[in-house]
Amino acid sequence: MGIYAEPRFLPCGDQALSVELGDEIDREVNARVLALEYLIRQRQLGGVTETVPSYRSLLVYYDPLTVGWEELTRTLHALWREARPEILPPARTVAVPCCYEGELGFEVEAAAAKLGLPLDELVHLHADADYYVYFVGFTPGLPYMTGMPERLFIPRLEQPRLKTPPGSVSIGGIQCCIYSVESPGGFWVLGRTPLRLYDPSAADPILLRAGDHVRFTPITRAEYDAIAAAVADGTYVPRIETPRPHPPSRIA
Amino acid sequence: MNLLIQEPGPQTTVQDPGRRGSLRVGIPPSGPMDREAFLLANRLVGNADDAATLECTLIGPRLEFGDARWVAVTGAAMHVTLDGTAMPGWAAFEVEPGKVLRLGPAASGVRAYIAVSGGIDTPPVLGSRSTYLRGQLGGHQGRALRKGDVLPLGPPSGGAPARVLGQFIPDYTQAPLARVVLGPQHDRFTDRGIAALFEAPYEMTPQSDRMGARLRGARVEHTRGHDIISDGVAWGGIQVVGDGQPIVLLADRQSTGGYTKIGTVCSFDIGRVCQVKPGQRLSFKQVTVAEAHELLRAHRDELDRAIHWEEAP
Repeated sequence: MGIYAEPRFLPCGDQALSVELGDEIDREVNARVLALEYLIRQRQLGGVTETVPSYRSLLVYYDPLTVGWEELTRTLHALWREARPEILPPARTVAVPCCYEGELGFEVEAAAAKLGLPLDELVHLHADADYYVYFVGFTPGLPYMTGMPERLFIPRLEQPRLKTPPGSVSIGGIQCCIYSVESPGGFWVLGRTPLRLYDPSAADPILLRAGDHVRFTPITRAEYDAIAAAVADGTYVPRIETPRPHPPSRIA
Repeated sequence: MNLLIQEPGPQTTVQDPGRRGSLRVGIPPSGPMDREAFLLANRLVGNADDAATLECTLIGPRLEFGDARWVAVTGAAMHVTLDGTAMPGWAAFEVEPGKVLRLGPAASGVRAYIAVSGGIDTPPVLGSRSTYLRGQLGGHQGRALRKGDVLPLGPPSGGAPARVLGQFIPDYTQAPLARVVLGPQHDRFTDRGIAALFEAPYEMTPQSDRMGARLRGARVEHTRGHDIISDGVAWGGIQVVGDGQPIVLLADRQSTGGYTKIGTVCSFDIGRVCQVKPGQRLSFKQVTVAEAHELLRAHRDELDRAIHWEEAP
C-alpha cells in the first residue's frame, strides 16, 4: 500500500483531526507529512492552532468556531496536492557524539550476543549509518529514527526497563532512538550521548527536529565527560550542518 | 506584590491556558486540567482569560498575601478560609495585605483553582507560564510549589464583587457524562467493544494524573491487536491498550503514541472528567463532530452567562 491515493481525514474530537497519508513507516510518506505541515505553517492557515507530525499522519488542532470541518478538510486537501517532499527546506545533519563504553552502553554486549555480532562490529555498524528523524515526540525531544543496516534489526526487550537514563542511544525493531528524559524503555541501550535532547533551561530546549539526519560519532569515556561538562557550562556548540540549496557564488 | 506559600498542599502548580505550538517537538501544552473552573476563576477577579492561576490537587495550600488583591476559588469543593473566616467558593472577594488564605481537602472534585487579580507573574517559558511537571518546565522553577516559595504577582486590574450563578456550578458528587467523538482508530475495535464503552460507567483509578485518566470497567475489545504505527495523541483521546481498559489523555499527555484510540472526549467535557475522584464513576456518550461543534458553541455561551456581577464592573 504505502501512500494512499487520497488523504484520510480522521476526527479526533471537536478540536483536532488526523490527516493520514499512508499506512507504512516510509520516508516518502513521512516527507509528505512534513511538507503538509510546512505548508500549513508557512500559509498560517486560519483556525489551525497547532500541528503534530508523526510517521504517516499529521495531527491538526483547530478552533471549530473559526473554521468548520468541511472548510478545513477542503483546504487541507488542496494543500495536500502541493505537499511534495521537494518543497521542504534542505535537511540538517546533526552530529551526535556517543560513548558505547561501560555503564553508558549497558546493553551493548547483550545486544551483540543477541545479534551474533562481535562488539566492535556492532558499534561500527551502528555509528556508520545515516539516521533519518521521522518526527520528535512521545517525550520532549525524543527522535523516532530509522537508518540502521538490517543486521542490527533486533526484537525489543522482553521485559521493558522502568527507567532509562536521558541520552541513552538505543535500538529496537528497525528503529533507533535517543531517550530524552528518564523514562521506561523497551529498546536495547548501546551507548549514551552527552548532548541534551531536551534541556528545559535552554531558550530552545529541543536539539533535533523532524526531517533531520543524525550521525553518531563514537567517543571515549574521557571525551564523554569533557563534552558533558561543556554542555553543563553552556559552552558546547552541537555540530549541525545545513546544506545550502545552491552553492555560494565564488568571489573572484 | 507577591504571594508567600506557607503550605503548598500535595500538588499545587502555576497554570495559565497552556503552551501552544510545542507538541510538535514532544512538549505537551500543560495548562489547567479543568479549563472551565480555571476560566471562571480568572473572570471572577477581572483577569484576562490567559492569566496564570494556581491549580491545587485534592488538598489546597495556605497562602499569605503581600498586598491587597481580589481572589476567587473555583473547582473542587475545598473549604476556603481567610484568617480563619469561611469564604464562599465560586465568588470574588477582597483580601487585605498580610491575610492568610487557606484551602482544605476537597470534599468533592479533585482540582481547585485560585485566581488572584493581576495573575501569577512567573516568567513565561515557550510562551506560557504553565507548569509541565515531568519536563521540569515553566511555572515556578518547573516544579510544584514548596513551603516558603514566593510568587510574583502582576499589577492588579481592579475587581468587583461577583459570583458564579448556582446553575453553572457543577455538582462533583454526581457521575458526569462525557461526550465522545469516535475515531481516529475506532475501526480497530469490535462492535461489542464500542458498545461496551458507551453502555456501563467506568471507574476512575488512583493511577490517574495530569498525563491521563486511567479508567476501569467493561473491556473494550479490539479486532486485531492494540498496536498502531505511532501517531499524534489528541487532547481527550481515549487510548485502549491490551487489557481493554481506557485511558483518557489529558493536559500533560505524551504528544504521540503507538496504541489504538477508540475516540476522543470533547473539549467541553474534559474538565469535568478531571474532577472525578478515584473510585467515582463517569459515563460516555457518543456524538458526531457536527453535534460536538454545536455543543461547544452552547458551552461557550453558558460560560459567558455564568457570572453575576453584584455591581457593574
